[in-house]
Amino acid sequence: VKSRKRLYVPILEGLLLVIGLVVVSPAFLAFINAFKSLTEIRDNPLALPAKWSFENFGELFSKVGLSEPMLNSFLMCIAVIGSLVLTGSMAAYSLTRRKMTSGPVLKVLFLAGLIIPFQVVMVPLLQQFRTLNIQTSYLALWLHYVSWGLPLCIFIYSGFVGTVPKELEEAATIDGCGPLGLFWKIVFPLLKPCTITIVIFWGLWIWNDYTQALVIMGPAKGQLAFVQLGRVLQDQYVKNWNTIFAGVVTLSAPVTLLYLLMQQKFEKGLTAGSVK
Amino acid sequence: MRVRGSLSQMWASTVLVGPALLLYLGFFVVPAVLGFAYSLTNWSGWKNAPTFIGLDNFVELFRDDRFIASIRFTLFETVILVVVFTGGALALAVLLDKVRKWKALIRGLFFYPYILSILVSGLLWQYMANSREGAVNKILRGMGLDSWAQNWMSDPAWAPWFITAMVVWSALGFFATIYLANLQTIPSELYEALGLESKSAIDVLRYIQIPMLRPSITLTSVMSVIFGINLFGQIMVTTMGAPGYRTFTVGYFIYWQGVQHDRQGYAAAASFVTFVVLLIVAALQTYLMRRKEVQL
Repeated sequence: VKSRKRLYVPILEGLLLVIGLVVVSPAFLAFINAFKSLTEIRDNPLALPAKWSFENFGELFSKVGLSEPMLNSFLMCIAVIGSLVLTGSMAAYSLTRRKMTSGPVLKVLFLAGLIIPFQVVMVPLLQQFRTLNIQTSYLALWLHYVSWGLPLCIFIYSGFVGTVPKELEEAATIDGCGPLGLFWKIVFPLLKPCTITIVIFWGLWIWNDYTQALVIMGPAKGQLAFVQLGRVLQDQYVKNWNTIFAGVVTLSAPVTLLYLLMQQKFEKGLTAGSVK
Repeated sequence: MRVRGSLSQMWASTVLVGPALLLYLGFFVVPAVLGFAYSLTNWSGWKNAPTFIGLDNFVELFRDDRFIASIRFTLFETVILVVVFTGGALALAVLLDKVRKWKALIRGLFFYPYILSILVSGLLWQYMANSREGAVNKILRGMGLDSWAQNWMSDPAWAPWFITAMVVWSALGFFATIYLANLQTIPSELYEALGLESKSAIDVLRYIQIPMLRPSITLTSVMSVIFGINLFGQIMVTTMGAPGYRTFTVGYFIYWQGVQHDRQGYAAAASFVTFVVLLIVAALQTYLMRRKEVQL
């Protein structure tokens, strides 16, 4: 039995490696084509560039102006993640650990948000931002990201709060620690693995988001990284694939590098929302 | 301690839950509830004042060919995605679980598309499917199959499959990873207990892996149903519903009517229909989960 096993595992490994390479090949194609001229892409899309040129990237930053949107996206990530970690962890702790009469009702209310997709709230939400006179603003987008992200954030934190030993809290209370100090000094540091998950999940999500940013900020004022790249596309009748690929590579590079550095954390973090 | 009073405890709870609750109520629950109210009006959003028109929007929806087309395509996608993300991902995970050499690399290759932006996957696939310069057609022509070359994205027969392929490409590794995590929790004694003689891969799958993977199977099937019903951004960055409403999803229909054509009341009615369908899915999920718990 063992010899048969030894035979087929290497074949399986080789086969899966080849299929895996095919899976990433479109991304690889974008990478090599980002260093070619438009004519070279047309004539020879599958070959390595004859000369690795950074011209497309220069054009991307000078003509398309991608540096400011990239900074904006980065700041948006920080603002949303900060708010989510702050409000989400407190709420999850309170709902799972503290005795609250309204606790069960609030829990169901937050959980309901998990199944409601963006399209369902999109139209009235835009109307609400118009009423508040903050339409197409960063504030509106931030408000949407945080309120939309909270259910999953609370869900992920809630599962983890339960693992914090109750004795720790009791000991701190006896030492005279107030309820808020108890959370910030004792419980929150213990939630660190969960906080890392939230940072990865939402960091990736907000950096990559195109759809929701476009709907809420509108195409005219789209100043986030991917919205800006999308605008370039819509302006072109004939697609300049060389610039597009340079944009794709530039905006995917940070995410790809982080993934290479922390593959396990990424895979764990991104599937965290699904593990009961 | 108890003397310090429930008032300060109540205050603490308010401070802890308050910010999250306010944000969530204000910018998620309120618009969701308002949406249901809008669905009973003929509101454009800004041109006219909302007038109550009862269920007219819903009647119109089910007579609207474009909405029917979007339901048909959403159903088509959902059925395929459930099969592929539940069954296909399970098969992939079982195979990936056997890999010892280059384990992280091989798993990473399959997972990688999931971390790319929707816009990126849309662009990559648009490029692949492009008629003149697309990679797929270049390869076909290179193989002498010139007559097969075409614009895959705008061909009515191929466009739905184009979307399917793109969505499967981007999320199959993700669903396989969920199964992989579950496979690692199966104790090795179970494999040993099956005995050496009947230890064919199919027996292992049938008697150990599938029963032990049941929580993940339930989870991925529900997640993929929701995934299918929610398809929206993927359409926005590729076909925009073309050719001829062939790839309209319900989500895209809402966006198209509500945001692009200023028919908010009408779009809200379509949102409400989506919401009801999702509610049924969620109820079914709760039922399945509960049944599973009884069995364990």
